[in-house]
Amino acid sequence: MATIARLSRRLLPRTLSTSLPGRAFSAEAAQSAENPSPPAPIIRESPDRVKWDYRGQRKIIPLGQWAPKIAVDAYVAPNVVLAGQVVVYDGASVWNGAVLRGDLNKISIGFCSNVQERCVVHAAWSSPTGLPAETLIERFVTVGAYSLLRSCTIEPECIIGQHSILMEGSLVETHSILEAGSVVPPGRRIPSGELWAGNPAKFVRALTHEETLEIPKLAVAINDLSRSYCPEFLPYSTIYLEVEKLKKSFGISI
Amino acid sequence: MGTLGRAFYAVGFWIRETGQALDRLGSRLQGSYVFQEQLSRHRTLMNLFDKAPVVDKNAFVAPSASLTGEVYVGPSSSIWYGCVLRGDVNSVSIGSGTNIQDNSLVHVAKSNLAGKVLPTLIGDNVTVGHSAVLHGCTVEDEAFVGMGATLLDGVVVEKHAMVAAGALVRPDTRIPSGEVWGGNPAKFLRKLKDDEIAFISQSAANYASLAQVHAAENAKDFDKVELEKVLRKKSATQDGEYDLNLGVGGEAPPELNTNAPKAS
Repeated sequence: MATIARLSRRLLPRTLSTSLPGRAFSAEAAQSAENPSPPAPIIRESPDRVKWDYRGQRKIIPLGQWAPKIAVDAYVAPNVVLAGQVVVYDGASVWNGAVLRGDLNKISIGFCSNVQERCVVHAAWSSPTGLPAETLIERFVTVGAYSLLRSCTIEPECIIGQHSILMEGSLVETHSILEAGSVVPPGRRIPSGELWAGNPAKFVRALTHEETLEIPKLAVAINDLSRSYCPEFLPYSTIYLEVEKLKKSFGISI
Repeated sequence: MGTLGRAFYAVGFWIRETGQALDRLGSRLQGSYVFQEQLSRHRTLMNLFDKAPVVDKNAFVAPSASLTGEVYVGPSSSIWYGCVLRGDVNSVSIGSGTNIQDNSLVHVAKSNLAGKVLPTLIGDNVTVGHSAVLHGCTVEDEAFVGMGATLLDGVVVEKHAMVAAGALVRPDTRIPSGEVWGGNPAKFLRKLKDDEIAFISQSAANYASLAQVHAAENAKDFDKVELEKVLRKKSATQDGEYDLNLGVGGEAPPELNTNAPKAS
């Protein structure tokens, strides 16, 4: 029965289904009553969708004159997106699912730093502190998984915990640690040699000398790990074999 | 193509064949760890039987995003890299001029405990920050959802309201117009100032124009990309800042550093 219902829905013209969100919105507006929003615009689908769909994501996306730069011995995972002014310096590693988008300002990942899984690094057009709004990650910095960095400066030898959020203009000074899940509000400065945590981030304690010595060791350990990932990738992918096989099976001359 | 050309082609073929044979030999030596790459099966727009996403021709959807099921994206909206919009059990609709930034997740609920049907509705000129999670909620026009915020089932964000970064909004919360909510669980923080309200629509407009640049770049075909790569390589110059960051060489000699302002 459900299948018949679905089939009959499928037979309806697409124009009807496109007007659906509009109807849903007007119902929503009627609910809130005091500020009725105008009906949603009618969606017109692109006729050449195939041109941009089904093609996969490029790793490096140059925007205008700016092309991302990756040092030869840096490791950038295959499903990372680097767009615009992004520089990944030697020994740095960017792990799977991260997005580094330097479309408005510059992003740099310094020597032996690492940006872990599914991080988003972005740079705003301007920062509330009045300093340059570029995102600068310096040497021996570890940025944990799922972190969000926007126009912040991280000085050498820091650890940013997993799931932490750094907003515009925040500054993490050298030898400091941000605990996992901390949220740094815009323009906040985390002084040198301190441990901060929480939402919004608060001072927890000062770090001991031994702990600060551990910070670069962690970055180096992750750098060593990325060394074992690098040789797994051939200079060229073997995807052309698949394409040639397909072309042969369809009788297209190569 | 003359005889010489044919000969070159044949030699090229032998070299490639040898290369492939070497590749197979290398793979054999690597034993069971060998990796054979397959064509990527990722689909940006995926239908579930009759539930197909509908995207306006002026909208930007990043190739690495995935839109599944009943998802409607209005004109000049943008769905950025790594986003997942999943309209499988209900519908997701996004108005015009809205941006859903990188690695965000928009999902729907069939119904909640009270039995209410929960499609996700996102209005016009909304900004949804990086890595936000929107689950079965309503975001009205010109609202702002900060980075890493989580909106659970039945949440309503009213017009001109703002959810601060890293906030977790509990189910069935209503965030009134012109207020900022933040924290875990989200609480009222303060009222928005007029210039901040103006900033929200401004930011959506900025993103809409930025999306056009990204859309143009991502729509380029293979040949164009390769051509641009060659052109870029030709005009490449030594970056003085690069050595500086490595800590080698100190400062670049002044005769190399032509575009920097002269030190007085």
